[in-house]
Amino acid sequence: MSNQKKRIFQIEAFQNRVVVDPKYAEKTWKILEHAIHEIYNHNASGLSFEELYRNAYNMVLHKFGEKLYSGLVTTMTAHLKEISKSIEAAQGNLFLEELNRKWNDHNKALQMIRDILMYMDRTYIPDTHKTPVHELGLNLWRDNIIHSGKIQSRLLSTLLELVHRERTGEVIDRGLMRNIVKMLMDLGSSIYQEDFEKPFLEVSAEFYRGESQKFIECYDCGDSLKKAEIRLNEEIERVTHYLDAKSEGKITNVVEKEMIANHMMRLVHMENSGLVNMLLNDKHGDLGRMYNLFRRVPNGLAMIRDVMTSHLRETGKQLVTDAESLKDPVEYVQRLLDEKEKYDGIISLAFSNDKTFQNALNSSFEYFINLNSRSPEFISLFVDDKLRKGLKGVSEGDVEIILDKVMMIFRYLQEKDVFEKYYKQHLAKRLLSLIVKLKTACGYQYTSKLEGMFTDMKTSQDTMQGFCSSHPELTDGPTLVVQVLTTGSWPTQPSITCHLPFEMSALCEKFRSYYLGTHTDIKAIFGKGQKHELNVSTYQMCVLMLFNNADRLCYKEIEQGTAIPASDLKRCLQSMACVKGKNVLRKEPMSKDIGEDDSFFVNEKFASKFYKVKVGTVVAQKESEPEKQETRQRVEEDRKPQIEAAIVRIMKSRKVLDHNNIIAEVTKQLQSRFLANPTEIKKRIESLIEREFLERDNSDRKMYRYLA
Amino acid sequence: MKKEDIVKLISAEGMEFVIDKEAAMVSQTIRNMLTSPGGFAEAEHGEVTFPEISAVILEKICQYFYWSLQYSRGKETEFHIEPELTLELMMAANYLHT
Repeated sequence: MSNQKKRIFQIEAFQNRVVVDPKYAEKTWKILEHAIHEIYNHNASGLSFEELYRNAYNMVLHKFGEKLYSGLVTTMTAHLKEISKSIEAAQGNLFLEELNRKWNDHNKALQMIRDILMYMDRTYIPDTHKTPVHELGLNLWRDNIIHSGKIQSRLLSTLLELVHRERTGEVIDRGLMRNIVKMLMDLGSSIYQEDFEKPFLEVSAEFYRGESQKFIECYDCGDSLKKAEIRLNEEIERVTHYLDAKSEGKITNVVEKEMIANHMMRLVHMENSGLVNMLLNDKHGDLGRMYNLFRRVPNGLAMIRDVMTSHLRETGKQLVTDAESLKDPVEYVQRLLDEKEKYDGIISLAFSNDKTFQNALNSSFEYFINLNSRSPEFISLFVDDKLRKGLKGVSEGDVEIILDKVMMIFRYLQEKDVFEKYYKQHLAKRLLSLIVKLKTACGYQYTSKLEGMFTDMKTSQDTMQGFCSSHPELTDGPTLVVQVLTTGSWPTQPSITCHLPFEMSALCEKFRSYYLGTHTDIKAIFGKGQKHELNVSTYQMCVLMLFNNADRLCYKEIEQGTAIPASDLKRCLQSMACVKGKNVLRKEPMSKDIGEDDSFFVNEKFASKFYKVKVGTVVAQKESEPEKQETRQRVEEDRKPQIEAAIVRIMKSRKVLDHNNIIAEVTKQLQSRFLANPTEIKKRIESLIEREFLERDNSDRKMYRYLA
Repeated sequence: MKKEDIVKLISAEGMEFVIDKEAAMVSQTIRNMLTSPGGFAEAEHGEVTFPEISAVILEKICQYFYWSLQYSRGKETEFHIEPELTLELMMAANYLHT
């Protein structure tokens, strides 16, 4: 660069000074106007962007922005008017296509213009709060094209007609539709709504109103619903293809209202095909459809539910008052079960397990089952019947399933105590009949003990009640539950001798005197059981009561204080100190076994979820050898008198009998109970001879004679 | 260098500066010019003439483009402007929206 010496910095006038004369603005504008024309006429290639941009830039810079802007508006408007004419001129089907094409052209031109006039957009327009170029372009389009008298109505009617045609089954150009609709959306959502959506919804409503009227008259309920469903899906699909997504909710509302809500009553109550008919015939598909459609409209489901409920109540009422089924309780209950199963199926398959419907079902059942006061009895009889039958043939699993279903019905009973009464009776009868069967099969002796046990239970209960009512002052103290047992009937247990704590023994004495007062010749033996917070065995109770007077006891002290036999005491202490969750006592040292030197404390940290805690007794180990022997021995001992009794009976009737025959007879008599051992029988005979019940014949060693 | 990646900027005197498109598009104006639809001459031929910007300024501007790219990539150096160029440079910058 020449002459580049350091000079004092001074601001020089801008080199390329532009002539600021009025003509300048006009000249510049003309250039731009021309350019816009060219752009609209698709002649833009070849134009210099830079030149145009610079011109616009200069205009704005030199305060001619106003002129530029208004010039722009005028030019664009003029062009758009021309465009509008050409669109109006389009014939028939070409109308939309022409509109679409011109719209695309306009958009492209608009973008080019905006780019050239970018400087104005950036500076002049914000300053003067005018509409930016792009928006301006859209607004001008809207005003001159869309809202031009002829085009506006024609556009709307064309669009609606296309929709209508599609609804009647024709195929239309969905792409074109989409573009036009998008154009409306681009022009502003209010344009879309006002110019299209609102009329669209109105026309659709009218259309569906007419269609649904036709359907109702021609088709039955199931088919009408099918058609409604088809239309609904169609509309949803239409929206996804070429409408604004926001329209979906609106158009579905229209369909729902016109096709479903307006005709709900009529559909549901339609003769021979309405809801009741569907229920009776288990038409799950139709019911499911009805459910899905009706749930879209207000009160739809409520209507279904109400009709179902009243129908169910009616049929139920008929069921329980039908004279025929009343004769056969089992049939009665079976019908109830079938009805319940049917509706359970309907609700789960067609009504998608809707809770409100479940509730309606339950309340209906509850209503009509209790209309018949004999329902509890019948249900009990049904159960009885099934349990008896359960012994023959029907698999256990099936019986279980049936009983589960009966349980559901049972819950509906309001008078559950009536059921209980009948059930107890039937149960007792079942058991007694079982015992009778055993008796006939095995003889009186076999069952007498069982019968004895039952009667004992009953008398104990009565005695207890009598005792409590005659001693009302005892309700505060420890409650005593006593079972009075006949000695012979119950499996014998060594009668326990231990020192009962003082409170207990006083109570026991009272009971003993009461009992002996009513029954004179029976010894009262106390069994197990004490109800307090802790449910413990008698031994455990004795041990625990000791701790009332001492905090710490060693094994020896406990042994002395209670006089419980050692093995039992050890088991009892183990169950109270070593079992997790039931350790009311603490043991030192903390080992599993009880040693003679262990000491025991009350476990302060004992905690349990339940108020009543049952402290069981550690189960005795499987019978050890000596114990097994013991049991065996006892059985043998029991048999001896039985054998003797049999021998005596036989000899008494025969007077004289030889050895072999005796053995045979005795074995035969006892075979229902056990297989008698011949050696054992021989021994018994010897013993009887010694006791002078029998004697040997003098001549024949093998003959025996009965001694009176 | 491929043809599509470069652009020629021509000053008032006719001096030509060939730079990367990426650098040129630091200027919003040039960016619009090159990406505008409609087939303007500049985009077609890949060259832009600035009859109102002198070579000195245009040179400086090109330097600025590259400096700007480097700066945005992390190389934070200083861009020195000779005082006598300031006014013209500012006006060109305004024009080019840089």
